Amino acid sequence: MASTVNIIINGREIQAPEGMTILEVAKKEGIFIPSLCYLDALEPEGTCRLCIVEVSGSLRHSIRVSCIQEVKEGLIVETDTERIKRNRRVLMELLLARTPYSKELLDLARKIGVVTSRFQSEEFDDCVRCGRCVRVCRDQIGAYALCWVNRGYQRTVTTDFDRISEYCIGCGSCVQVCPTGALKMEDRGNERIIYKWGQILARLKLEKCEKCGKPFAPKKYLEHMAKKAYKPRGLQLVEIICPDCARKVERPVPAPEFPVGKMPFGF
Amino acid sequence: MGSTNDKEIVISVCTGTGGIAAGAFKVIDAFEEALEEHGLKAKFKSRTHKVGCRGFCAKDVLVDVAVGEDVVTYEFVTPEKAKAIVEKHLVGGEPVKKWLVKDDYHAFHTKQQRVVLHNCGRIDPESIDEYIATGGYKAARKAIFEMEPEEIIQEIKNSGLRGRGGGGFPTGIKWESCRRAAGTIKYVLCNADEGDPGAFMDRSIIEGNPHAVIEGMIIGAYAIGSHEGFVYIRAEYPLAVDRLRLALDQARERNFLGKNIFGSDFDFDIEIKLGAGAFVCGESTALMTSIEDKPGLPRPKYVHTTDKGLWGRPSNLNNVETWANVPLIIDRGADWYASIGSEQSKGTKIFSLVGKIKNTGLVEVPMGIPLKEIIFDIGGGIPKKKKFKAVQTGGPSGGCIPASLLDLPVDFENLSKAGSIMGSGGMIVMDEDTCMVDVAKYFVQFCVDEGCGQCTPCREGLYHMVKLLTDITEGRGTEEHIKLLEELSEVIIDTSLCGLGKTAPNPVLSTLRYFRDEYEAHIFDKKCPAGVCRELTTFVIDEKKCTGCTMCARNCPVGAITGEKKEPHLIDQSKCIKCRMCYEHCKFGAVLKM
Repeated sequence: MASTVNIIINGREIQAPEGMTILEVAKKEGIFIPSLCYLDALEPEGTCRLCIVEVSGSLRHSIRVSCIQEVKEGLIVETDTERIKRNRRVLMELLLARTPYSKELLDLARKIGVVTSRFQSEEFDDCVRCGRCVRVCRDQIGAYALCWVNRGYQRTVTTDFDRISEYCIGCGSCVQVCPTGALKMEDRGNERIIYKWGQILARLKLEKCEKCGKPFAPKKYLEHMAKKAYKPRGLQLVEIICPDCARKVERPVPAPEFPVGKMPFGF
Repeated sequence: MGSTNDKEIVISVCTGTGGIAAGAFKVIDAFEEALEEHGLKAKFKSRTHKVGCRGFCAKDVLVDVAVGEDVVTYEFVTPEKAKAIVEKHLVGGEPVKKWLVKDDYHAFHTKQQRVVLHNCGRIDPESIDEYIATGGYKAARKAIFEMEPEEIIQEIKNSGLRGRGGGGFPTGIKWESCRRAAGTIKYVLCNADEGDPGAFMDRSIIEGNPHAVIEGMIIGAYAIGSHEGFVYIRAEYPLAVDRLRLALDQARERNFLGKNIFGSDFDFDIEIKLGAGAFVCGESTALMTSIEDKPGLPRPKYVHTTDKGLWGRPSNLNNVETWANVPLIIDRGADWYASIGSEQSKGTKIFSLVGKIKNTGLVEVPMGIPLKEIIFDIGGGIPKKKKFKAVQTGGPSGGCIPASLLDLPVDFENLSKAGSIMGSGGMIVMDEDTCMVDVAKYFVQFCVDEGCGQCTPCREGLYHMVKLLTDITEGRGTEEHIKLLEELSEVIIDTSLCGLGKTAPNPVLSTLRYFRDEYEAHIFDKKCPAGVCRELTTFVIDEKKCTGCTMCARNCPVGAITGEKKEPHLIDQSKCIKCRMCYEHCKFGAVLKM
């Protein structure tokens, strides 16, 4: 057990394990701090700035992002001061100006008291540039299919040279982690398409299930799964079976505990 | 002066970027040719001498002609003039009076205190011997052989040297925390990614005296316990890169860099890393990610780079000018250095004086000098008898200081009290024809274009600031616009990830503080007092003042001006595109901005 530190969040004394971030501790304690770019499976980037808190005590009195600042002995954290709330509201208004139609974002906005934005952008999309998709694709899947391009206000997520990605394995992790529903995945016939506002990012042919003949997963994805799940255990991919059929197959020996590892999700 | 006799003739030509652009190499060739032609080369010890930028770029090509002890300086030298100078001055023995520098050249130099820039414009930046002859690398030897690292740090602390890159953090304290940081591999870095519009301090130091920076880094590395250094320099500074590269090679040849430098047991080498022109890479963490060959994005960590910087190792980053100060402090002592400057800001500071000012150039002044001495005594004031309006210091994240604060002593504390920052030392002078709302818009737009786009406040917030400012300059502004601008500024300062965002609203805040009336004129009267914002300005001709010289009509690109010779002219408002050409060309002040 790691050593613990004593901190105060919103006047409540809390014992927290050393090395944890303020946001992690707050989540554990049931204290709500809004956030967009934070995801516990990913390295925090601290870019959406919604999770700002005021710190004092053992740190100089300042505003910090709670997904990055680690707890420290004697730290005093305020998550809901007027200054923080005002800043958060304006940040949310700024995000809403460009992303006015995302239901997920509107829900979060309502939670922190923002209904409409005083700002207006000229172009709209659903992306809030939190970078979760880029990080999950790069750090967890290792596919490097998504990347950032341009800088400043033009910064956006896309594939290499805006083309249909050659590296995408069609796992859909990016779609799963997107907080605003900007990325979408659809299986159309025997094709899987991953797309965002006005741009197709990936298009992959689906392999058919050897039992029922239903197209269900791209080849690259199956290979990826084989590499991640079977190889470490000395197994090989011999049959391509869809999850529905797989459940029906009787296993002679109960499978050992599945090493999910860092996979965010799977079948 | 008499004949040249057998005195040595040295012709020093400014070959900084400004000099080269004005044709310095052609001038050198012309001098060489003329010297050859008149047999001066064979007869006397005569030579041309390439020197770095001496600061007064407005007068390039500047040439010092030294005959023995007598030195005179010529301004605006061209190849033709060069030939004539050789004929009349060197052969004839009389300097060509009309081409000599005038009083303003001397006025430009008298109030300056050139310490860091002392060698710039005197020595050949491509020759290590000339640097050594002026006492170069003496300080580094002294540091390595006679001083303990702690002593050096104490000396730097005593000197009161503060970071010249903009933050003004005490250099000695930074070195100390880097020295104390855990880890055996440490780095010293030099920030030469000078991206502020109108700034060329670091560039001129590297172009004019690259060895000073190298020597400073050697001393710093020894004090911190580092064996590897990097200079992060913009690829847009080709001359500076070439000269730095040459200087590094020369230093390696002499064993001033590499293994066992100066024959001691201390190893240190410096590598050059070219920046690809992103302004944000001047931010310390972005600079480090860029050196790591990653996209130059600032890191959002709350860890000092002196503990975890480049590749997660303790790294000490200083600006070019800071490094160039170090050898001077070690050589002449902290007491000497601390005697220059003001209470809390010691030493000198280099400013690049640009904009609406007579003497454009690089000036080095002691800290604490009143602003007006820089602008009016050194800079010579505003050209065309216009009135001074404001000076913008600290680059795009600095603020505008109005005429009422001209007595302000220039140092870190006073500038930040006035709502601006020292920055790396850009100083843009503005006259009465400048619209402050437009200026604020320009600088915020610069940050929009150059920001990395990672964090919400800077990416989205600055974009909307520009939109609000555009509304004001185009006549759609309301009182609400000012309120929103103020609120946005506060939020951006509070929540931005890096220094770029945290300081980007400064131009808006400072202009709102000192020139609120101009914002209000745009919003309530729908007028631009300076006549810059096209949508809010009309140009009319004063019939009484107009002499009918036809100058305006001839210069109007759209033919909007009509009128007979010697009769008052008239501007057709439906055709006028508000390009200001008539206003600029009228010699009688008959074109009025309404």
